Amino acid sequence: MSQARMATARTHWEGGVTPFGMSWQKLMMWVFLLTDALLFAGFLASYAFIRLAAGDWPEQSEVFSMPLIATMTFVLITSSATMASAVGAAHRKDLNTAVRFVALTAIGGAIFLGMQAMEWTELIHEGARLSGNPWGPPAFSSFFFMITGFHGTHVLIGVIILSITAARARSGTATGDGVELAGLYWHFVDLVWVFIFTVFYLI
Amino acid sequence: MSGTMSYKGYWTIWGVLLVLTIVMIGIEALTLPGAVAILLLTAAMLTKATLIAGWFMHLRSETRFIMWCLVLGTLLTAAFLLFLLVPDGMDANRFAEYP
Repeated sequence: MSQARMATARTHWEGGVTPFGMSWQKLMMWVFLLTDALLFAGFLASYAFIRLAAGDWPEQSEVFSMPLIATMTFVLITSSATMASAVGAAHRKDLNTAVRFVALTAIGGAIFLGMQAMEWTELIHEGARLSGNPWGPPAFSSFFFMITGFHGTHVLIGVIILSITAARARSGTATGDGVELAGLYWHFVDLVWVFIFTVFYLI
Repeated sequence: MSGTMSYKGYWTIWGVLLVLTIVMIGIEALTLPGAVAILLLTAAMLTKATLIAGWFMHLRSETRFIMWCLVLGTLLTAAFLLFLLVPDGMDANRFAEYP
């Protein structure tokens, strides 16, 4: 093999080439987010199918507390803005500010989870179960618990990731890229809620 | 890391997202015809999703290749799911024939 070809092979196989114009960690995060998006797309599509096929469906505003859902949405959107600010601060190498914004984001996520627990508790007290509910087809409450449960689990994992990221950034071991990866995950959680909020609670 | 904005830029996007959310709640509260409400809510939902993915996740400053992989991947999947499932779902009687 000629010197030039060996150099080319070395460049391609020993790192340094980023075909997608981003680091491997970030690319893998996008691949993960894409597959996770497909999971939620499957949930929402099956929800739409069952809802159309069922014909009769409860009026959401009569079952759910819309002010509570609106507040949950507000909290999640705000936490996404604090996360974006954290990424911006990390990009400017201002890790102290980044830590503060990441911590605020984690607090926002914890508040969201608290409100979701309130919503679940209230509906369970009113008779909602995975197998049935007092308002209409059993699928109504099964989808509610499944979709919001999966999303809530993502929020919980996000809060854990953000707490670890904040601690690592505070101790100086986290990099700006690490904050950005945590940010991508958190914005995805917000993005999924945009679809759940519209398709499940409003339409 | 690329495409980051000033704090003001991020909080402006936050403001737009908030206004869109309030508009969506308003649309739900109004008694608009079903199709009109669905159309308006879907438009607002996609606008919000674009703002989050494009500006908060900085997708607009990634390479065109990765951007189109992600955008086309999700849009094509959504189209497949919509056109394969929804027509059957709308025909409730036909659905009832298959236990």
